[in-house]
Amino acid sequence: MSAHEADPLDHPEVRHASPLAYVSGYLLSVIFMAIALLLTLRHTMHYLNFIIAVSILAGLALLAQALLMFRLDLSKSQQWKTFSLILVLPLFVLSIGLTGWMFHTLYPRTMMHFMQVQGADM
Amino acid sequence: MLVHLQGPWTPLFGRLTLAQIPYHNGIVLGAFIFAAGAGLVIMAALTYYRKWGYLIREWITSLDHKKIGVMYIIVGLVMLFRGFIDGVMIRTQQAMADGPHSAGHLQALHGYLPPFHFDQIYSSHGTIMIIFAVTVVLTGFQNIIVPLQIGARDMAFPYLNAVSLWLTAAGAALVMISLFVGDFSHAGWVGIIPLTELPYSPGVGVDYWDWALQLSSLGTTLGALNLITTIVMMRAPGMTWFRMPFFTWASLSTQTIGLTAFPVLGVALALLSADRYLGTHFYTGGMGGNLMLYTDLFWIWGHPEVYFIILPAWGIMSEVIPVFSEKALFGYTVMVAATLSIAGLSWAVWLHHFFTMGAGPGVNLFFSVSTMLVGIPTGVKVFNWSLTLYRGRLRFETPMLWAIGGLILLLVGGLTGMMLAIPAINYTVHNSVFVIAHFHMMFLVSVYGIFAGMMFWFPKVFGFRLDENSGRKFFIFFSLGTATTFSAMFTLGFMGMTRRLDYLYDPHWQPLLDIEEFGIFLYCVAVFYFFKMIYVSLRDRAKESHGQDVWSTSRTLEWMTLTPVPYYNFAVIPEVHGRDEWASRRESGFEDSGPEEYEDIHLPKNSIAPAVIGALAFGFGFGMTWRIWWMAGLSLLGIIGVVILRSFADQSGIVLSAEAVRRMEQKPEGTGIITDHISPPVAELEALS
Amino acid sequence: MSRTETLTPAHRLWARHHPEPDPIAMKTLGFWLYMLSDALIFAGLFAAYAVLDHKFNAAGGPQIKNVVHPLEAFVQTVVVFTSVLAYSLAMVGLKARNRMFVLAGLLSAFVLGGVFLGLEINDFATLVAHGITPERSGLMSIFFVLIATHGLHMAFGMLWMAVMMAQVALKGFTTEVVTRLLNLRLFWVFQASIWVCMFVFVYLNGAF
Repeated sequence: MSAHEADPLDHPEVRHASPLAYVSGYLLSVIFMAIALLLTLRHTMHYLNFIIAVSILAGLALLAQALLMFRLDLSKSQQWKTFSLILVLPLFVLSIGLTGWMFHTLYPRTMMHFMQVQGADM
Repeated sequence: MLVHLQGPWTPLFGRLTLAQIPYHNGIVLGAFIFAAGAGLVIMAALTYYRKWGYLIREWITSLDHKKIGVMYIIVGLVMLFRGFIDGVMIRTQQAMADGPHSAGHLQALHGYLPPFHFDQIYSSHGTIMIIFAVTVVLTGFQNIIVPLQIGARDMAFPYLNAVSLWLTAAGAALVMISLFVGDFSHAGWVGIIPLTELPYSPGVGVDYWDWALQLSSLGTTLGALNLITTIVMMRAPGMTWFRMPFFTWASLSTQTIGLTAFPVLGVALALLSADRYLGTHFYTGGMGGNLMLYTDLFWIWGHPEVYFIILPAWGIMSEVIPVFSEKALFGYTVMVAATLSIAGLSWAVWLHHFFTMGAGPGVNLFFSVSTMLVGIPTGVKVFNWSLTLYRGRLRFETPMLWAIGGLILLLVGGLTGMMLAIPAINYTVHNSVFVIAHFHMMFLVSVYGIFAGMMFWFPKVFGFRLDENSGRKFFIFFSLGTATTFSAMFTLGFMGMTRRLDYLYDPHWQPLLDIEEFGIFLYCVAVFYFFKMIYVSLRDRAKESHGQDVWSTSRTLEWMTLTPVPYYNFAVIPEVHGRDEWASRRESGFEDSGPEEYEDIHLPKNSIAPAVIGALAFGFGFGMTWRIWWMAGLSLLGIIGVVILRSFADQSGIVLSAEAVRRMEQKPEGTGIITDHISPPVAELEALS
Repeated sequence: MSRTETLTPAHRLWARHHPEPDPIAMKTLGFWLYMLSDALIFAGLFAAYAVLDHKFNAAGGPQIKNVVHPLEAFVQTVVVFTSVLAYSLAMVGLKARNRMFVLAGLLSAFVLGGVFLGLEINDFATLVAHGITPERSGLMSIFFVLIATHGLHMAFGMLWMAVMMAQVALKGFTTEVVTRLLNLRLFWVFQASIWVCMFVFVYLNGAF
């Protein structure tokens, strides 16, 4: 069968390896995490702003990894990976977000006043 | 050990002692004699007819999706039978134990089942029916039919497919052995927290339930990625997305749930295991645990799970109704959109299982609205099926009876579901048998879909029809049983009867309980006709054998292969030009056009590794349940070892020559899935010799 | 009946010599889907973390800020990212058909993974020595289990790397070996992505 005899090293997933992309992805991830570390250590922001900022930094690092390390795009060899990842991301938001909201409304109704989240007001 | 265990523990046997075998319990003893007897008869027959080699070469080591699917269905039907017996026992206990003057028999104060035993029975009834009967049979159908419907020769990963089967079988075996060694969980199929924590369930029952679910859940996740990859990458040329048969779309939606939801069940159970084995405090009442966390995580899985069960059944109905109306499915594109949106929306509704647990009104409102939203595409499906029937040339053979029955049950179950979606109503009927009646209606839609599929596709796989006459009686008595039992149950729900009760305090419920018991009797008559149908069909199989297109009006690709389906499915992959390709060919006069020339076909060799992995998985589950650490550890290492060893092995398959294919295609009686010894050789046995 | 296609003899009915679907693409897609299911395991764990990350859940014991050290966690972060880089460069070696380069990359990734795990185990050992165990409270339970689940994945990946080094050395670049290397790459990068979430939402958020 033609697929079996083809040289596996000619496959697009092997060929899309790129030292430039990998090193850039590495550097960007480290830089974003370093910035997040600095924000944490300096401890000057209000908690809400802090959490938004580090969430954005995490998102940027993940995006760098998706594009530069996983090499996700809409090419024929990668399109299903990209598409399935995009479909799964909302499930993270739903499961973690709705759970968080659920318990946030639960605690004042069932728990005592010492249910304060670290640094946040309830 | 990190936790305090009640009872003895030895390094060699863990918590297992002879006292764990309930030989003093008359009911369990009876069940054991029945099961052991049946097992001995089967083994004796295999030995007498010298079929052990056949069994191993043709079935246990098979990687063929059709055989794997048939094995799934056999496991599922056996478990369905046991789940049914559990149901009979529940109904009988409740009919006998109503009111303070009800008599007690055996070891019970009222009825014949003491509370601890009764609790195990409804727990195993739920667990078996949901996880090991309905899910397993539907997985079997998807396994057999989807590759055929898309014109493929097998699934994307045949070896992984077999591993999924054997992991599921290991989970089922754990549930079965819990009947005879130790106890099963008494905390309901959901695992009521904190009842499942070690202080309240000091025995092994919860552990059996937990590991059985973990193993089968892993099997399901692996099967999901297999089916999705198959559908994405292995469709026949010309089969674009919107030319796929509807059952394939339903399977794809189902498996997106299988892939994404089951891991969360794994987490919910793993954290419970951590509490039970390591003494952590995820779900404990004190020390910073949170009971509702379990409920939340469980139902994040639990709701998508029920759609996992019903979507394939709707897929089957969507295949059967067009064939027996001689019309294409009405509104195919809308149906596809509805199915996909149901799968997606099913991820946003899970709190409706615990509206009463204390989240704020805003949260309840959100989940109520989302639950009602998911009813819209479901309603769309009902309209589309009805419009398919409208002005069709209807034939009421048994598959169609089951499909229409399912449609009617969907109306009852769906509408009562919409009632439950409203928190105000939900607060008054939560935990009553109204809820039980609702979800039994929904599960029965799935069961009706299963029997429709069974009657519909059995001739394709085995080459002969199931007996119409006893099949019809099976349907009639099953439906009468359903109507009787559950109309009484809805009424009892409104009268305030709560669920999971081994003793009922209100004697006014007796007439309704008796009606339910009569309903169960009707189900038993139905089961009799089911077995009669199997017997008559086998006895008359030569007479009832049919050619390719049993139903004469079928529409999709699976009807284009020989009957019974040869193990390579299609001699040459078909080219697809539209939806309902087979119907198109038949109506254009091409039904007898086979390929003029044949070609070599590559197939994987059989392998014993999946069955070995299944056995080791059982060893792991059993070892963990009884805390026999050496057994669990060695089993786990064994599984890793098998996987690594196999990865070093030669992966080449075998070639079926064009000449051999031609001979098989031109045999007048076709090839038989049971009778022909045609499977590829077993790779490991070949390597040894 | 309605809406079927009308076929003529001009229509080709059978796709002779239809090529099998690309086995490498199938296997990497299948493995990617498995990784997505793995991601949902972490979603469940993060949901549990969101629920249990409150003062109440510490049961009077240590809070997250008492058990995390963001600077040391950053060192771990750089280590795991470098391990991923090493593996990715091994893939560049694969593209160049250079067996030694691939083996060197795999070995470096393996060693760095070991350093990461060593740091993490040392961290846990210190905590346990101070009496801070998973059994202390619900908060400590989720902290340990969340981090340990990622650690277990790393350990599994390292075992896989060891197997791959053996297979590359013994078999060279067969289709199966290349497919497994590609899958392991997906697995390994994925571990780094999960670590980003852990680093930010447990270590940094916890320490703030």
